Parts: sequence; C-alpha cells; structure tokens
Amino acid sequence: MSAVAIQDVTKTFRQHVAVDNLSLQVPRGSIYGFIGPNGSGKTTTLRMIMRILYPDRGAIRVLDESVDGQRDGRSILDRVAYLPEERGLYKQMKVRDVLRFYAELKGFRHCGPDIDAWLKRMDLLTWADKKVQTLSKGMSQKVQFIATVIARPELILLDEPFSGLDPVNTDVMRDAILELRRNGATIVFSTHDMAVAEELCDFIFMIYKGRKVLDGTLESIQDVYGSDTVHVQLDGQSVGNDLPGVVKVTDLGRWQELRLAPEADTQVLLNYLIQRGRVRHFEISKPTLHDIFVRIAQPIDTLGEKLHA
Amino acid sequence: MRKMMVVAVREYLAAVRTKTFVVTLIIMPILLGGSVLMQWLLRDYHDTRAKTFAIVDRTPGARLFSSIARTVESYNETTNDPVTHKPLLPRFELQQVPASADTPKAIDEQRLELSERVQKGELFGFLDISADVLKPGQGKTDQNEDSIRYQSNSPTSREFPRLIEKPLLLAIQAERAEAQLGVSKEKMRQIMRPISVESMGLTWRNPATGEVEPATLQSRYAPLGVPIGFVMLMFLVIMMTATPMMQGVVEEKMQRIAEVLLGSVRPFDLMVGKLLGLTAVSLTISTVYLGGAYWAAWHYGFHRYIPLELLAWFIAFQALATLMYGSLFIAVGAACTDMKETQNLMWPVMIVAMVPLFLLGSVMQEPNSALAVSLSFFPLSTPMLMILRQSVPPGVPSWQPMLGVVVVMLTTLFCVWASGRIFRVGILMQGKGAKLGEMLSWVFHD
Repeated sequence: MSAVAIQDVTKTFRQHVAVDNLSLQVPRGSIYGFIGPNGSGKTTTLRMIMRILYPDRGAIRVLDESVDGQRDGRSILDRVAYLPEERGLYKQMKVRDVLRFYAELKGFRHCGPDIDAWLKRMDLLTWADKKVQTLSKGMSQKVQFIATVIARPELILLDEPFSGLDPVNTDVMRDAILELRRNGATIVFSTHDMAVAEELCDFIFMIYKGRKVLDGTLESIQDVYGSDTVHVQLDGQSVGNDLPGVVKVTDLGRWQELRLAPEADTQVLLNYLIQRGRVRHFEISKPTLHDIFVRIAQPIDTLGEKLHA
Repeated sequence: MRKMMVVAVREYLAAVRTKTFVVTLIIMPILLGGSVLMQWLLRDYHDTRAKTFAIVDRTPGARLFSSIARTVESYNETTNDPVTHKPLLPRFELQQVPASADTPKAIDEQRLELSERVQKGELFGFLDISADVLKPGQGKTDQNEDSIRYQSNSPTSREFPRLIEKPLLLAIQAERAEAQLGVSKEKMRQIMRPISVESMGLTWRNPATGEVEPATLQSRYAPLGVPIGFVMLMFLVIMMTATPMMQGVVEEKMQRIAEVLLGSVRPFDLMVGKLLGLTAVSLTISTVYLGGAYWAAWHYGFHRYIPLELLAWFIAFQALATLMYGSLFIAVGAACTDMKETQNLMWPVMIVAMVPLFLLGSVMQEPNSALAVSLSFFPLSTPMLMILRQSVPPGVPSWQPMLGVVVVMLTTLFCVWASGRIFRVGILMQGKGAKLGEMLSWVFHD
C-alpha cells in the first residue's frame, strides 16, 4: 500500500518539460525526502500530488485514490496537507483565527484544543492572539507548519520546511515530524539541507531536470557510489592537487575531501601522502548525500554523467 | 458547499472586522454629502463689506435710476439680521454717474474710465443703461443685447444684476406703456405683476389620518433625491467591496496563500465562497446606509417617497450586481501578479460600471425613452439603470424589473463561470500578469 503512487507522469509548461516520465512509490508511514537543484521539478511534483496541477500524461494515486485529471474524489484533499515553500498565511489575521480557518477548510471543526496543544508545543501560545504580520520569519514558519498539520492529515507534503529556522527550531520541527510519523502519517518533504535529509529520511528521491536520478534508502544510494571518498588532514599543509587515482579534491578548510577514480588504490594514495608530510587523518568512507548531489548537479566525471544520462 | 461557507465567512469577517471598513462606512457619506453640507453650513458666511456700483442712466432725465435706487434701498433693509442686527449680506451703495455725450467714442471713453475705477477697487461694477431701452420694440429684431450692460471683473458674482433685473424691466415697461399708451406707471405696475410657476409633487391622502395632505414645495426634491441616492449607493458599494476583494486575491497570489487554499478547496468553490462573502459585505453596507436613510426619511416625513417594495428591488439588484462585478474583479485579480497590473485590466470593467452614472441625467429626464429602456436591459448596467427607472415616478411596468433580474442572473452565472476558469489558471500563475486576450483564451479553451 502506497501513500503516493506516481506512474509515468509527465508535465509540460509550454515548451518546458517540468516533470519527465516520472514514477515513484511512497510507502505509507515513511518519511520521504525530495532533493534536487532549484527548478528541477520538486514543487511541480508536489503540486500534482496535491491536485493543484494535473499531469499531462500518466497517473497519480494518493492514499489509494486516483488523481489522473479527474475532478471528482475531492474529499481526499481533506486527508492530505501541503506546506508551500513560501509563506501561505493571511498577514492581517490573528494566529489562532488563521489556524482555525485552515482546520475548518479541511473539514476539521472542533479544533480548539488541538490548536492550543500545537501552539504550546511550538512555544507560540503567547502569540495566539497576535496578527500574523507581527511574527518573525521563524515563528510564521512554525505557524504555517501547524496550519498544515492541524487537520490531522494522513499524508503531509512539506516544501522546504526547514528553510529559515535556527538550530533550536530545526530540532522542534524535526521532533514534530517524527511524532507525526509515529502517529501514522506519511511525510514527504523537499529540502536543500542534505544533512537533514540524511538524518531524517527513510527514503531519498532526487529529481534533476524533471527526471528521477536517485531513489532509495540512503544506504542503497551510497552503495551505488561505493567507498570512493577519502577524508584527509595533513599536518600544517594542504594535500595539493596531482594525487594518484584522485579525480577531485574539495578543500573543506581544515580537511580535504578526495574523490577516487574507479579502481583507484587507497594504499597507493596513503603512501604518496605520507611522503608529502605528516598524515593526521586518513578515512575511507562512502560519499555524503551532499557530495552525491553535487556530483549529479555538477557532473565532472564519467560516473556522474553515466548516472544522470 | 461547507468549504464555500468557510471561505465566505472568512472573507466577510476579514472585510468587516477592520478599522478601514468602519472608517470608510462613516467617511463615504461625508465625502459625498460634504460639498452639499459645506455650502449649507457656509450659506450665512457672506462677504458683508459694502459694494459700490456706478449707474450710468442714459435715458432722458435718467428716469430709471430712481427705480434702481428704490430696489437697492429695500434690499439694504434686509442685509442685517432682524434680531441681532449683525450684517448677513453686503450692503449695496449706488453712485449715479452723469451720462457722457451720446457718441460711440465718448461712451467707450466713459466705460473705460469706469472700468479703471473697478480695477482700482473703488467700484465693484457698473451698470450702463442706454437711451434705447425706452423705445418700443421693432418686431423681430427688438432684442438688443447692448441696451443694458453690467460690467465688472467678478463675473461669478451675480447678486447685483440678479437683484435689479426684474424691477428694472418692470420700470422700463411702465415707462414705455406710459409713453405709448398713456397708462399711468402705477397702473402698469399692477398689470405687470410677475407670476412664476412652482414645481410641486402630488396632493395625497394620508392613510393614517384620512386627511388630504397638500402638495409641498419640498416634495418635488424627494423624487429626485431617491433615484440619485439609489444609483450612487449601488455604485459606491460595488467599488467599496469589489476593489478590496480584488486586492485580496492578488495578496493571496503574492503570499502563496492560494496554493494552500487550493490544497483544500476546488478553485470554483473558493471563488464562489469569496463572492458570497463579498455579497454579504455589500448587503451589510447597503443595510446600514438604507436603514439610516429610511430612518431619516421617516423622521422628517419623507418615507412615502421610498416605498418598501423599491427597497426590496434595490437589495435584489444590489446582490446581483455585487456577484456580477465581483466575479469580474476577482478574475482581474487572479490574472495579475501585483497591484499595479490590476490598473491596466480594471479600466474596461470600470468604464462599463460607470455608464449608468453618465446616463443618470438623461434617464431621469426620460425614464421610459427607447434608449433608457434598452440600456436598462444591457446586463452590466441593468441593476443601476433599472432601479433608477423604477424610482423615478411614475415607475416602470412590473415585467421590466422581473425580466431585468432574469437577464442579470444569467449574465452573473456566465461571469462567475468565466471568471472561475480565469481564476483557476491565473491563481497559480506567477511572474507576469495576463493580457486580456490570454484571459479570454483561458475561458474558452481547456
């Protein structure tokens, strides 16, 4: 049983193909991360799941109901919620009123206690009777999040829920998402924060130029790339560029991240580095999601080319 | 349906529960009635400094001057408040100037000299009566514009010429009659006693007392005020409610609220919800104003000029007009991405909405002319023109407003449907606004 089942979906705006022959299964009760560069089709996909847009071709089933351009079956929308990337609140309304409005719009009538509970949890209780326009960016982001989940939806789509939050609020938001999942909800969110995606997501989906380029658990994605990454720290100096079997050097400041060519020998590399200077740190690891993202979005070698071709 | 109501309630409260709404509600009649009110308040504030006029009476023996002097004298007795003796109006003072020689050059010289005195402020103006005025007319060409002239550099100040015009005419006619017919001036004045035609309403029987109530002078103004009031009110309410609604739609687009809403409501339901809220707001405003006006009319005994049936028609047309224009305004809002763009798309709607205002005068003059009747069935102007024609006595045949309601209803349904299609596409469009042609293509192509 999938919360979302996307089957061969294509969406075109004029000449621009926003989503190209996409298929995707989101299992119920999972946290699914959408990543991809700006303009790659994440928001279009989310909007099609929400039936704000309709696909040109293909079919989308949400909570086992079809969304193939048919206008009926609308009540499904009461079970799905969407947080758009930019704020979506009436600035002139009071926080409590705007939350009640969104709850009632989803058909959730006796929402008073839930609103109070959420406001308390998000540390916003003192702002309940203030107008939205008086809130800071982070606070209105939290209010928007409450507005999204207030009607107890089964499927929650969040477009960039963590953007603009400080570390404390990021933790609050993450805990809230995890609790919603514990209570049975399915969560799909898009993010540019790879660390958050690594920590939080059961599955990661990457879309690039309208096409699916990654889909699976973090481990399965990393396995595709193998252990081709070496983190190095030399005493008091940088590693330099012309290293044997290394295709790319990323200077992270105190560290250097080296990407190895396929079939490169780490032993040869270590020997070479020892001759250069004192090695303080040498760690062979799988590439981070960040690194994988950059490899796909900014391909420099055949591996990336092969993957997104 | 339930979601429509949730949207409608929010729109209504968002519109009504603001300070701007209350302030506008109070300020609007003040602005409208303001100019009338100011004139009424300032009616007693005249420049009470005395004004001096020179009179050049070129008739033999300057026979007309005494008549002018008498008129001014009796006027000067009324310039002070009878109780407080404070001056209310300026006193007029006359200076008789001996006539110059009767040659065109000398006359022009004298007029120049007097004009210069006006320039210097010694005189307010001067009256020049030619000797010709006492001659009897010559049939067709007896209109001689140069016979009596009043010259001044304040052409808008008409009190003095208006004051002396009729008495002077009478005096001239009496002089002529005496010369031609030998009738005494006194006798002639009696014969020539002026009469004017007074416009009044109808005499009516008061159902409460059974007495016949006389027609009054005031009753002629009520049948003018009621229709103008109705049309102005309807226009104002549409503008007061539909414009903020349009701005609201643009705000929803700019703040991405539209996306959240469309995640819960169908675009059409969202738009209809907005329209219902809008209509409720417009009826609230109408109720406040009409209630106030009716109470005032009742208080001063004018309420029989506002039949309740007419009020019911007004409410019906008001509601339909709000729906019709509201849907157009919402479509404009949905097609634009910022407030500036709405201006360009607004003007066609505004011009159509203002047509009834342009035609106000001619329709009131001839409420049943072919033009008035046919324009009142042009759906976009039906609400305002039909209520205008209904409220000008004697009214219209009852099939006309009924047909009007049907016509407007059909148009409203079409407007709501077409706007719904524009809304559906436009509400998610970002970046740049649509042109009129694009909007039409959204309506007719899928």
